[in-house]
Amino acid sequence: MREETRGPVYVERMSVLFRVQHMLLMISLLVLAATGFALMYHENWLAAAVVRLEGGMLYRGIIHRSAAVFLMAQLVYHAFYMLFSREGKRELREVWLTRRDFDDFLQAMRFNLGMGNEYPRFGRYGYKEKFQYWGATTGVFLISVTGIILWAETFSMRFLPKFVLDLTLIIHGYQGLLIFVVLLFWHLYIVHLHPSVFPMNRAWLTGKVEVEWLRQEHPAEYEKLKGEGVI
Amino acid sequence: MRGKVLATGIFIALGIVALGFRTPADAKISLEKCTLCHGKPEFRKILVDGKIRDLFATEDSLKGSVHEKKTCVDCHFDVSEIPHRQRPQRVTCTHCHYKGNAEGAPQSDAYLEYFESVHGKAIAGGNAKAPLCQDCHGNHSIRKTKDPASAVFRGNVAETCGRCHIEIYAAYKTSIHGVAVSQGIPDAPSCTGCHGEHKIYAHKDPKSTVFATHVAAQCSTCHASVSIMSKYGIEAEQVATYQNSFHGVASGFGSRTVANCASCHGIHDIRPSEDPRSMVNPKNIPATCGKCHPGANPNFAVGKMHVDSHSKESGIIYYTAQFFKYLTIGTMLALIAHIFLDMYGRTRRLRGDK
Repeated sequence: MREETRGPVYVERMSVLFRVQHMLLMISLLVLAATGFALMYHENWLAAAVVRLEGGMLYRGIIHRSAAVFLMAQLVYHAFYMLFSREGKRELREVWLTRRDFDDFLQAMRFNLGMGNEYPRFGRYGYKEKFQYWGATTGVFLISVTGIILWAETFSMRFLPKFVLDLTLIIHGYQGLLIFVVLLFWHLYIVHLHPSVFPMNRAWLTGKVEVEWLRQEHPAEYEKLKGEGVI
Repeated sequence: MRGKVLATGIFIALGIVALGFRTPADAKISLEKCTLCHGKPEFRKILVDGKIRDLFATEDSLKGSVHEKKTCVDCHFDVSEIPHRQRPQRVTCTHCHYKGNAEGAPQSDAYLEYFESVHGKAIAGGNAKAPLCQDCHGNHSIRKTKDPASAVFRGNVAETCGRCHIEIYAAYKTSIHGVAVSQGIPDAPSCTGCHGEHKIYAHKDPKSTVFATHVAAQCSTCHASVSIMSKYGIEAEQVATYQNSFHGVASGFGSRTVANCASCHGIHDIRPSEDPRSMVNPKNIPATCGKCHPGANPNFAVGKMHVDSHSKESGIIYYTAQFFKYLTIGTMLALIAHIFLDMYGRTRRLRGDK
């Protein structure tokens, strides 16, 4: 018995389906960022090089819109999956924002600033993961709205004057930048730079995390799984 | 009596001979010989198609021109006997006007540029209607470009080009540029201002200054210059705002279908937006935008056309851009602050665990 517990023991954190969703989401967001920022920062030599790499403005646009359609399809699929599948419903309950997450955040900040004695005990998803999830989801939904307005520009302008379209273009670009910044910095921290996972949390590839990591970073989830007899 | 008459006769004859020796003999003779026929005002030829070719030319024909001191056969050098039996060839200016010529004719590469141009190519291709040098510069009445009587003087260029390009001339004449040139405004462009002088290319030719993807750059030679535009109360940012717009960016990357300056403002018939005939008059904007965006409606005219999100004059667009700018910077700073705080907290946590 002792021999077995010595090495790291793993537990599944991301099912195959979620890993696939995460991978597709990552690919489409990167493509959208590459094509979108190339237009937004067209004066930059790197952006100009990217546009040429993408085959000029016409193909840049086609690639961008194709990736956008793919992303929106994922968003719709994800919404249905989270609302109606057994696994999705369970995950949605776990990731749902509650009052506790806000309290957890304040408690964590108090602890980090040296004003509290106890760090919050996170469940399956702490406020960090939830902020990331809801931030990205809301962002993707909102940027889709402005994107569709811009794509169907002649139809949109039946109802909207030109300056609203100009405004939409500005908002669309900054929304993209905001999503990019949030995903970049948040990922950079919680799955890369965080000392417990540095250089990378491999769950997005293997689906598994160390039980010991779970015990330290998500103690409530660890106890729950232990209670269920999973570990 | 007889003696007196004879003496007078000899005197007159000597006088004529003396006059004849006073000027270079062959030149004088040549001109006189030519004007023997060409000096008659009624000397003309009726062509097969009923047109009349005026062949009248005297010693006054070259007066005031840059070739004042030349004689007929300097240019019509294929005339070697008088009367000439054949119709002389069209004059070839490159006979003298080439680099390194010994005649002292002005030296330039203009003729090389001309041979490459749409006009030169047309001539080489056998188009008899295409213009040679003399069709634009004039034949006997060639004057310096700065001379207001010159066919290629700023104020006369459009009319000269218009002799062949008559519809374009009509459109240009009442455009803002045409009116400005006729008012003598020195910065306003005539035909050559946009199309070039000798190296004029067809607008479908990628070498052309008015090729779809070159239009913006060509207009911006004047319209991006604050020093020129401020004289006439025209905004110089229009070029930059275009280049940053979707149309401008796409054009910059080589799209030929996307709108350039001329797509919206017109080509030869550019008018100020206040003019009801202007393509960019708010009333005409649905039709103008509708050329590419089928179903364009008056909503296309609601709002500024050349928008700069970095300029306060853009109002809500400027403030929205600023809001997002600071929101993004703020988010970034908050995230970084959180990263450092949380790592610091974690270190404390682990220390506490020990």
